[in-house]
Amino acid sequence: MSIQDQLPEQLRKRLAEDPLFGAKADLLHDGRFGEQWLAITEHEVSVWQQDHTQLLKLKISELKDARAVGAVGGGTLLADTGKGPVVLARYTSAQSSIFGFAAKLLGAMAKKEERPVVSERDFPRYCQNCGNPLSEGTQICQICTRNGKVAARMLRYTKPYKLQLAATAVLLIATTLVELVPPYLTKVLIDDVLGPKDVGSTLMLVILGLGATMLLMSVMQTIRGLIGVWVGSKLMGDLRKDVYSSLMRLSLAFFDRRQTSQFIGRVNSDSEAMRQFMTDGVVFMSAEMLRVVAIFIIMFGLDWQLTLYAILPVPVMVAVSMTIWPKIGRRWYHQWRSIFRLNTLVGDSLQGIRVVKAFGRERDEMARYNEANVELVRRNIRMEGLWSFMFPAFAFIAGLGTLLIWYNGGNKVLSGEIQLGVLMALISYLGMLFGPLQWISQMISWASNAMAAAHRVFEIMDTPSEVPDVRNPEPIGVIKGDVAFDSVTYGYEKHHPVLKNVSLHVKAGEMVGLVGHSGAGKSTFINLICRFYDTDEGAILIDGTDLRSISQVDLRKQIGVVLQETFLFDGTIAENIAYSKPDATPLEIMRAAKIANAHDFIVRLPDGYDTRVGERGHKLSGGEKQRVAIARAIIHDPRILILDEATASVDTETERQIQEAISRLVKGRTTFAIAHRLSTLRNADRLVVLERGKIVEVGTHEQLLEKEDGVYRKLVDAQKELSKIKGVEG
Amino acid sequence: MAAADDKYDIRMFAPDDVYFSRGSGGVFQGVIDGTTYDELEVYRAFPFLYTTQYISVRNTKGEELGIIPDIAELYEESAKELEKELQLRYFIPRVTRVDSVKQKSGLWMWELQTHLGSTRMVMRNLHEHLQYPGGGRVILMDISGKRCEIADWQALDAHSRKQLEEVL
Ligand SMILES: Nc1ncnc2c1ncn2[C@@H]1O[C@H](COP(=O)(O)OP(=O)(O)O)[C@@H](O)[C@H]1O
Ligand SMILES: [Mg+2]
Repeated sequence: MSIQDQLPEQLRKRLAEDPLFGAKADLLHDGRFGEQWLAITEHEVSVWQQDHTQLLKLKISELKDARAVGAVGGGTLLADTGKGPVVLARYTSAQSSIFGFAAKLLGAMAKKEERPVVSERDFPRYCQNCGNPLSEGTQICQICTRNGKVAARMLRYTKPYKLQLAATAVLLIATTLVELVPPYLTKVLIDDVLGPKDVGSTLMLVILGLGATMLLMSVMQTIRGLIGVWVGSKLMGDLRKDVYSSLMRLSLAFFDRRQTSQFIGRVNSDSEAMRQFMTDGVVFMSAEMLRVVAIFIIMFGLDWQLTLYAILPVPVMVAVSMTIWPKIGRRWYHQWRSIFRLNTLVGDSLQGIRVVKAFGRERDEMARYNEANVELVRRNIRMEGLWSFMFPAFAFIAGLGTLLIWYNGGNKVLSGEIQLGVLMALISYLGMLFGPLQWISQMISWASNAMAAAHRVFEIMDTPSEVPDVRNPEPIGVIKGDVAFDSVTYGYEKHHPVLKNVSLHVKAGEMVGLVGHSGAGKSTFINLICRFYDTDEGAILIDGTDLRSISQVDLRKQIGVVLQETFLFDGTIAENIAYSKPDATPLEIMRAAKIANAHDFIVRLPDGYDTRVGERGHKLSGGEKQRVAIARAIIHDPRILILDEATASVDTETERQIQEAISRLVKGRTTFAIAHRLSTLRNADRLVVLERGKIVEVGTHEQLLEKEDGVYRKLVDAQKELSKIKGVEG
Repeated sequence: MAAADDKYDIRMFAPDDVYFSRGSGGVFQGVIDGTTYDELEVYRAFPFLYTTQYISVRNTKGEELGIIPDIAELYEESAKELEKELQLRYFIPRVTRVDSVKQKSGLWMWELQTHLGSTRMVMRNLHEHLQYPGGGRVILMDISGKRCEIADWQALDAHSRKQLEEVL
């Protein structure tokens, strides 16, 4: 796609030169929706209104700079001129990227710098077919591809169980047919035995027949039930596995934007809803369908005229079902959302239970829960209430049909047109017929619930990872550990960059300390090295290879991280240390712990290395957890080591111990360390000072201290001040 | 008030401290405490709860100059410019009519009329893209980050309410 393409022909003709850039803004200058055109040529910037009248023209030579100022929901492209800033265009956030590029281009032209190269990411992308926006990192339009084939996709899960399901189907057909025998036998009983008072052996035979069918039915139902349970559980397992693995596959950015406790519910209840539909739902539905057809055939055979009366209520039922279908879907969704809110609430307050207790907010939490709970109760009542209405309503409509048959059939029996047994059989069949019809409403409920669940589940599965692996990743083997940042710009929300144009080359084995105020972008810097996120601009190279062309598994093998918030999994200390190397020998585990200065305290624990940590079990202190985490990084034996405020939450003595551990650990590895206590970084070969996402100073501790007005020096001075007050730390 | 404790206190502007206007280039500017700024930025401290109160005024470096307690207290001309700037900075069109809400293969399409013109929003689902700050208010966010607001959905016309009942 070329950028000039964006400009209409008529406007292009009016330009004195070929445009370098053209774009349509989706807001007017006063902020209303509308269209305006912006064109940049070698010497001018022009803006036209929707009716192609010129609104603005500036000479590039008048410009000093240009900026894209982001706002909530949109932004403004500003040009700085000698006479103050001028608004060039306003736009909604859909167009932030393209005008961000315009600002860069104009800025570079004004300052006579090298012009930025347009990249595909600068353009909002739309589907070629339907014109709807495409999501990040994908070429596939959701609207065009996923055209409602959710059900088919869901049923694909039953594929591995074809045989079992086929068996169920056969049994089903058999049971259905056998079920139809007793009413017929009843007819025989009434008309041929009881009616004519035949005292022969027929009575016994008919009774035996009835008994045999009953037994056969029970056996077949049991077998069918067992197969159903088996297939159902398997299916459920498959679904859960798929949802969970799609969750694991997703990038951090996905979880940043969402509350994680919601997924617990999704993995379990959504797959349950889908399973219910697939096994009970589909099996039931086919069984009932079959039964309906069979019953009608027999009934027609018995007396076709009377049967017609039985069919009368059916269209009514179908019509009712059709009208309430959307309503049910909606109510399911409401109910789901209430449950979802409730789960989130519980997840949240339990995760923060310490804070809740510390501030004595239990009552308020209970009140909050109660409110959500009441809401769910209300939704439940509405949902279930609909059923309590539906079932009787269906039964009543069905009953009307029965009445019709009683009346007309009764007359026919009285006038001797048919025998009593036939009427009785018809009535029995009719009773069996309305069973399935009532099931229709249950089916509707299952199906709509399952569809909604499937949508949510497939949404997770279809979300592309924002840090995709390339198709043919470069084999890197064991790396040396050179790390280079090449004009890297990154923002968690695009167009609000947190790191701006950062370039840095770190040689293998070097230890770099990152310092700066909180929020300067230090953690972001290392997140990028781990490739938790991809850069917006520029590239990160490891041993000269772009991070993006290395497979993430290979990459993470080479990187070890110790973060401020240490997370230990539920398990023993040994398991936690061996997390990245499950086959580690006990000796290796102890060695790693020894290097991390953790061995001594672990052995002193009553359960030693088998002490359970994590959610339940033994709680370690902050410093102890930290050292376990360091041991975990050591056993990983990474070429690149990342320490993000690994010693922030410990006392000076523990810090010294950790410090010691770290200095042993960093030998021969490329290390990035972030620490609030600047003294922690005294071993660093170089210090990199970040301020508001930019590198402002680089050098050794001594070099940076020499800078009179340096940022680093100020930080050091401020900390000296602080430690004087506290009277600790020499 | 001593200059020293200014740094740790919130500076509240009185109506006489500030004067806002719009530059020839269409940029929001003003005179604050006698200093002229040819570009100013404004932020709502509580964009959901107090839309016309507690407005933070900042220079282009993002440093806070002070807070306007309530736009209604300002002189008319300043208040008008400030309101206009807030509208531009917080581009959240107010929905006047909901033409349709449709679900097309997993995506929700909203056709809306707002006080700033008509627009379309695309959402992946409803639970992540709708916010209910309270009352009948609904904030809509689409997948590109565009936002719209429904001040009180029960106050909309019958057609819109019918559309909304399906989804809210
Ligand atoms: N997951 C995230 N989503 C959005 N913004 C983030 C996220 N993490 C950090 N930020 C923002 O990025 C900026 C830099 O954060 P960070 O790199 O963590 O700073 P620090 O230097 O303290 O480690 C901060 O303004 C922070 O609010
Ligand atoms: Mg940090």
